[in-house]
Amino acid sequence: MTTNSLAPIVTLLQQRAAISSEWMNEVLRVWMRMYPGLVNEDELRRQADALLKELAKLFSEHSGETPPDIGANSALGEIARELSADRAKKGFKPADTAQYVIALKNVLTQHLVSTLNETPASLTLCLRAVDGVLDRLSLLTFEAFVETRERVIAQQSLSLVELSTPVILLWNNVLLLPLIGVIDTVRARQLTERLLESITKYEASVTLIDVTGVPVFDTSVAWHIMKTIDAAQLLGSRIVMTGISPEGAQTLTKLGISFANVISRATLRAGLAEALQLVGRRIESTGGVHK
Amino acid sequence: MNKISVYVAAEFNIAEAARQAKLMASVLGFSSVQSYYIATAASELAANVFIHADGGMFEVSALTDRPGLELVVSDHGPGIADIEKALQDGYSTAGGLGCGLPGVQRLMDEMDIDSQPGQGTVVRARKWL
Ligand SMILES: Nc1ncnc2c1ncn2[C@@H]1O[C@H](COP(=O)(O)OP(=O)(O)O)[C@@H](O)[C@H]1O
Ligand SMILES: [Mg+2]
Repeated sequence: MTTNSLAPIVTLLQQRAAISSEWMNEVLRVWMRMYPGLVNEDELRRQADALLKELAKLFSEHSGETPPDIGANSALGEIARELSADRAKKGFKPADTAQYVIALKNVLTQHLVSTLNETPASLTLCLRAVDGVLDRLSLLTFEAFVETRERVIAQQSLSLVELSTPVILLWNNVLLLPLIGVIDTVRARQLTERLLESITKYEASVTLIDVTGVPVFDTSVAWHIMKTIDAAQLLGSRIVMTGISPEGAQTLTKLGISFANVISRATLRAGLAEALQLVGRRIESTGGVHK
Repeated sequence: MNKISVYVAAEFNIAEAARQAKLMASVLGFSSVQSYYIATAASELAANVFIHADGGMFEVSALTDRPGLELVVSDHGPGIADIEKALQDGYSTAGGLGCGLPGVQRLMDEMDIDSQPGQGTVVRARKWL
């Protein structure tokens, strides 16, 4: 057979306006309800048009029995990737993104069934080809969606790390480093860098390290904190550690860990009093309403 | 659930292992200090698997015959060449504090290490209620 056995699909795809409008109606019906304000209808129609054009090209260039394949680097793959990356960034649900390709498949299938119902052999062949190509398109779309989401999440967690390691100037020459959450290698490095910068910038002579928010105080956390303390002391800042819980203290004893050259206070409040004393200040009552 | 597994492949899995151990401990009725000990021991064992063996399996399970809790880590890493040394405070082949394994021994009631050089390591640690 020298003629393209998938010619009916090409013919169908050449009625681009009709297919596109049916397809977009289907997609917009759901998206307009779920994501009002996030859907740009004009752009969506333009993308649909481009995608249908490429699909038509794919099927028309194709001859033979096995369904055509979409390379990840083909124009079609490119469009699919762009589309779903955009959806992922806007926070679309995976299912609603997948719906995009599924809706197109439904439209094409319906048309093929109604035009080719007299020639079952040709219908079978065409349906199988549409299935194969659009399934592949689905996968590409989904892959791109997940990839983008993962990148977004990785970026978010990076900024979370930054947000979660503030260094606070409590008083002239007194810094507070409140540690909250898991201290892993990346965070430990980051908070050490920030602390050292701040010690230099504010000429801090005392640094309070509050560990109230550290969930588990194991040897690796202790090791990270010791390194931070060493570096801070090299820059001339004294360290007051606060917030070790009774459980944490007993655990550190069992682990055989002690912090040399560090003043430790149970609470941040006691630590602050200590720190102020170290810089020759103290908090005094001014005879206000509270005693 | 009386057994929870965490595959330790990334650093954040260590915290997950500790969290699961702490949760299981408090569900079983360990005191808050004991739960903290168990969570820390879990963290140490999982960290060792991550650092020294490039990943492995962590499990925490409830013991029923004699009520208690067991932590098990198993890996296919390089194994521990000298177990006696590894149990000494301050011994580390990785520039760490070297207090992890001896610490686990003190934090838990029983610990045994099964390790073949080149084959991997299994560490079990139990604590009784
Ligand atoms: N799962 C393991 N696989 C291989 N070697 C291990 C493992 N766990 C512990 N070790 C060895 O035992 C030593 C002591 O462990 P540990 O007391 O936890 O100290 P650290 O982890 O700080 O080095 C390690 O330095 C390492 O050589
Ligand atoms: Mg260790």
